[in-house]
Amino acid sequence: MRTLSLTLFLLLLAVTSVPAAAQYRIGMSAAITGPASSTYAPTYEAYKVYFKRVNDAGGINGQKVEIVFEDDRGEPQRAAANAKKLGETSILMVNSSTSATYKPFMTESETGKVPLMFGGGVCPREAFPPASPLIFCSTSFGSKWDSRFALGFIKEQAGGKKVKIGFAAQDIPLSRIELEFAEQLAKDMGLEPIPVVVVPGNTPDFTPFAQKLKEAGADWVLSWALWHVEVGVFEALQRIGWTGSYLLYGHQQTQDELARLKAPNLNAFGGNTLFMENLPIHAEITNLVKGQTTHPAHYMAEGWVSAMVLEASLKKCGWPCPKDKLTTAMAGVSVDTKGLRGGPIEWTADNHYRKSTYYKVYRWDPAKTGIASVGGWTRLEIK
Amino acid sequence: MTQVLATTVVVASLYALLAAGYVLVYRATRVLNLAQGDMMTLGGYFLFLLATAAPGAPALSVATAAALSALAGFFIYRLLMRPMAGHPIFAAVLVTVTLGILLRAAIVLVYTDRIRHPLPLLGLVNPPRRLPGGAVVSTFDLLTVGAAAALFLALFAFLRLSPLGIQMRAAGEKALLAAQRGINFQLLFALSWALAGFAGALAGILYANNVRLDPSLGVLGLKAFAVALVGGLDSLAGVIPGALIVAAVEVLSVRYGDPLLADVSPFLCLLAMLLVRPWGLFGTKEELERV
Amino acid sequence: MALGGGYFKTTYAGDLALVDTRLRRTALAALIVVLLILPRLASPFVLDLVAQTALAAVGALALNLLTGLAGQISLGHAGFIAAGAFTTAVLVENRMPSPLLALPAAALVGAVLGVVVGIPALRLKGLYLALGTLALHHVVLYACGEFQNHWGANTGVSIPPPRLGTWVLKGTTAWYYALTVVAALVLILSVNLQRSRAGRAWMAIRDREIAAESVGIDVARYKVLAFVWSSALTSLAGALFAYQRAFVSVEAFGFFLAIEYIAMIIIGGLGSALGAVLGAAFVTLLPHGIDAAVAGLRVPGGAEYYLFPLKFGAFGLLMAVFLIFEPQGLVGIWRRVRNWAFLWPFRYRPLRPAS
Repeated sequence: MRTLSLTLFLLLLAVTSVPAAAQYRIGMSAAITGPASSTYAPTYEAYKVYFKRVNDAGGINGQKVEIVFEDDRGEPQRAAANAKKLGETSILMVNSSTSATYKPFMTESETGKVPLMFGGGVCPREAFPPASPLIFCSTSFGSKWDSRFALGFIKEQAGGKKVKIGFAAQDIPLSRIELEFAEQLAKDMGLEPIPVVVVPGNTPDFTPFAQKLKEAGADWVLSWALWHVEVGVFEALQRIGWTGSYLLYGHQQTQDELARLKAPNLNAFGGNTLFMENLPIHAEITNLVKGQTTHPAHYMAEGWVSAMVLEASLKKCGWPCPKDKLTTAMAGVSVDTKGLRGGPIEWTADNHYRKSTYYKVYRWDPAKTGIASVGGWTRLEIK
Repeated sequence: MTQVLATTVVVASLYALLAAGYVLVYRATRVLNLAQGDMMTLGGYFLFLLATAAPGAPALSVATAAALSALAGFFIYRLLMRPMAGHPIFAAVLVTVTLGILLRAAIVLVYTDRIRHPLPLLGLVNPPRRLPGGAVVSTFDLLTVGAAAALFLALFAFLRLSPLGIQMRAAGEKALLAAQRGINFQLLFALSWALAGFAGALAGILYANNVRLDPSLGVLGLKAFAVALVGGLDSLAGVIPGALIVAAVEVLSVRYGDPLLADVSPFLCLLAMLLVRPWGLFGTKEELERV
Repeated sequence: MALGGGYFKTTYAGDLALVDTRLRRTALAALIVVLLILPRLASPFVLDLVAQTALAAVGALALNLLTGLAGQISLGHAGFIAAGAFTTAVLVENRMPSPLLALPAAALVGAVLGVVVGIPALRLKGLYLALGTLALHHVVLYACGEFQNHWGANTGVSIPPPRLGTWVLKGTTAWYYALTVVAALVLILSVNLQRSRAGRAWMAIRDREIAAESVGIDVARYKVLAFVWSSALTSLAGALFAYQRAFVSVEAFGFFLAIEYIAMIIIGGLGSALGAVLGAAFVTLLPHGIDAAVAGLRVPGGAEYYLFPLKFGAFGLLMAVFLIFEPQGLVGIWRRVRNWAFLWPFRYRPLRPAS
C-alpha cells in the first residue's frame, strides 16, 4: 500500500510539470472514448495521421505542428478541465465532441483570447453570421441549414404531392430543437408535419415510437440524431410494415450501414462525399491511414477536412504565429476540399461557418446492388 | 393494442434476463451488481468475437459466447468480489461499478466504440413475424421471449430439484448455517455469479443480433434493476411480474403519454414500490430489517 | 513533539478547540501559507484542479454527513447537485443572477428535497434506500431536462459570473481562493456537526438503530435532519458548480457523478471528514494523474488511440485495487503512516481510541 501511495504522489508531481513551447502548438479535445465517441474518435484519428504526414514533410512554414490531444468523453466536467489545460498553452483549440462540452471551451477561448475551432461536432450558433470573432467551425453538419436542405429535398421528391412528414428526435436538446425547428419550417413550406416524436437514446425497443409515426400516417420521416436512434427508428418502422421513405443525417457510419440494411427507402443526406465514390483523395486517405487508425478510412472524411482547414490557416498565418494573428488568418481562409465536400470552405470576417454549404443524398440502389447518390450536390448560400 | 402487448412482453423478457442476474447475485452475496448491464454487453462482444473468428456457425458461437460469459462471471467473483467479503456492502457495490468501467474499457480497447452487428457475420437474418392479432415482432424478439422463458424454467427446476440448487437456496437464506452443514458456499457464490454472467450474456447476445452492439449498452442494466426491486430483490419468481409491470409502464407511457417519461418510468415504478411495499412483490419482508 | 491526546484537557476551551497542540497549529499555519502562495507558484491549470477538488470536497463532506456519520446510503447525490445548479439556472433565466439570492435559494431547495426524500426514507434501509435515492436522481434529472428543453434553455444555461455590488468573481485565481475558503468553512462546519448532539446521534443511529432509540434518540427526527443538512450543503455545492463552470446542462449530472461521490467518501475513509477531503482529491486528480503518467509513454503511431481507453480502464482498476486492499481508505493509510512516524522505533500505540 505504501508503494501505491508513493506512486500516486509521483503522479501528482508529474501533473504539475508543464512542457515548453517551440512550434505551432494546437490543443484538441475530443470524445475519444465514451458513449458518443463513435462519431468523434475518427476525427481525432484523422488529425493524428494528417499532421504526422505534415510534420514528416517538414512541417508548415518550416515549423512542426504539435497537437496535444485530450479525451473529454463528451462530459462537460472533463471538457472544462481540458479547456483550462489547452487554453494555457495553445494558439488554437479544436473541439470535436458533444455540444455539452462547448460552453467551457467558449468561456476559455473568450478569457484567453484563443481561437476555437469546432471540427466534428455540430456547429454552434456563434460560427454563423454574424460570427463571434474567435469561434470557427468546419463540421459538415450545421443546425437549421440541415433541416432547410432536408425539407427541400423531401418536397422535391414528393413532386408537388402534399406529404405528411414525421420527425424522430432523440432526447438530447440539440436534436429536439433542430427537429422542432424543422416541424415549424415544414408548416411554412406547405408540407404537412406530424408533431416531433422524441426517442430516449436508451430505449430497449424502438417499436412503440415507430408505431406512433406509422399511425400518424407519415409518408416521410426525417431524423436528425445520433446514429443508433436514427437507424433504430427506421428498422422498427420497416419491421412493422411501414412503406414510406426515411431521410436521416448521414454520420460516418453511413456507408457501412446503407450496405447492411440494403433498404431502397432509406435516404442519408450529408456534406461529405462517401468513399464509395473512389475519388483520388479517398485513395490517398485510405493509403495514409492504413495501419495507423482503429477506424476504417471512410470514417476519416470529417476530420480530414477539418485538418485541411487547420493546415491552410497555419500556412496563412506564417511564423511566428501568435493567437491574434492566427485568428485574423482564419477569418480569411479558403480551403479547397478536393472533393471531400461539394465545394470549398471559405471563412470571412463575419461568417465562420462557410459562404456556401453543400449537401448530397445517398441511398441503396437495388438495381445496381450498391450505394448510389440521389442527384448531385445541392448548394445553399449561407446568409 | 396487440402491438403494445407484444412489445411489452418482448421488453419484459429482455429485462427479465437482466434482472435474473441481479437477483441471483443478490441472493447469494447480498451485493447489488451494478455491472450486470456491462456483463450483458460483454456477452454480446464475446459473440461478435466468435462470429468474426468462425463466421457462419451461429449455434457454436452462441453457445461458446454464453459459456465464456459464465466463466467470466466465475472469475469476476473469484478475483474481485471474494476479496470484498467482510468489507462494507457498499464498498463491494462500488467494486462492481469499477468492474463495469473495466469491462467497458476492455471492450473499447479491443473493438473501439463503433456500433457492431454480429447478425450478418453469423449468416443469420432477422425477418419480421406477424403474430395472431396483427402485431409484428422480429424473429429475435420471439427468441428473446423464448430464451427468458427457458432460462426461468431451467432456473426453477435447478433450484427446486437439483441438490446443488437446493444448497444454493439454503446458502442464500443463511450462509452461516449452510456452511455449518458442510455446504461449500464459496462454490455456490461463484456459481451464482457464473449464472448471472450467463443470463446477462443471453440478453446481450439476443440484443446484439436484434438491435445493435455498442460498448454503452450497459445502461439498459440500470432499468432492469428497477425490475429486480419491484419483484423483490431476493425473489427470482418476482422478476417475471416485475419485468411485465416495468415494461408495460414504459411502453404505455410511450404510446399514450409522454415518450420522454419512458426513460424515468422504471424508476417511478421503483419509487412507487419502495413507498408501498419496499421489499417488492415477492421479496422477503424481514429482509429489509436485515440489511 | 506532541500529538493531541484524549486525556489531558484542563479547560473547557481546550476541550472544544479544533486545533489543540502546537504541532497541529504549526501544520495548519503551514498549510494555509502554502494555499495562499500557491497561485504564485502553480499554473492556472493546477489551480483549477485544486479549485475543482475543493468543490468536490464540499459535496463529499456533505455526503459524508449522511452516509459516513448517519449511515444512510445515498445514490441520489448527483440529483441534489443538479437541483442546486438548476435552481441557480432558473434564477438566472428569470433575471435574478445574484449569488446572494441563488446560494441560499439553492440551499433551501436542497433542504426541502432533503425533507421530501428523508421522510419516506425512514422506511428504507441499506440498499433499498440507495435504490430509492437512485430513483430520485432520475426524477430530478428528468425535471431538469424538461426545464432545459421547454424553457428555451436549449443546450444549457449560461451563468454569468457572480457579482456582489461592483465586485465580480472571475478568473482562475479568484475562484481558487473562493472555493478553498468555502471548502474550509464546510469542513469546519462538518467537523463541528460531528461533535454536536446531532453528530453523536447520527453515529449512534449508524452503529445500531435500536440501541440509539433506546437511549432516547429521536431516530426519525435525526435521520431527516441528516438528509436536510446533507442535501442543503450538496445543493449549495451545485450552485457553486454552476457559477464556476458558468454553464449548467443536464448531461453534467449523470449517474456516474453520484458514483464518483460515493467513491470519494469510501476511498477517503467512511465517516471521516479528513477522509472525505482526501477522497475528493483522489477521485478528482486520479484521471489527471493517469494522464500525466501516460503522457511520458512513447507508443507507435497506430497504437496511440488505445491510450485513451487504457486511461479510462486504469481509473477503474486503481479504484478497485484501492477498495480491495485498503478497506479503511486514505484516512487509514494516513493514520498508519502517522502512527508509524510517532511511535518509531516502537510498533504499537498504548491504549487510545482512534480519532
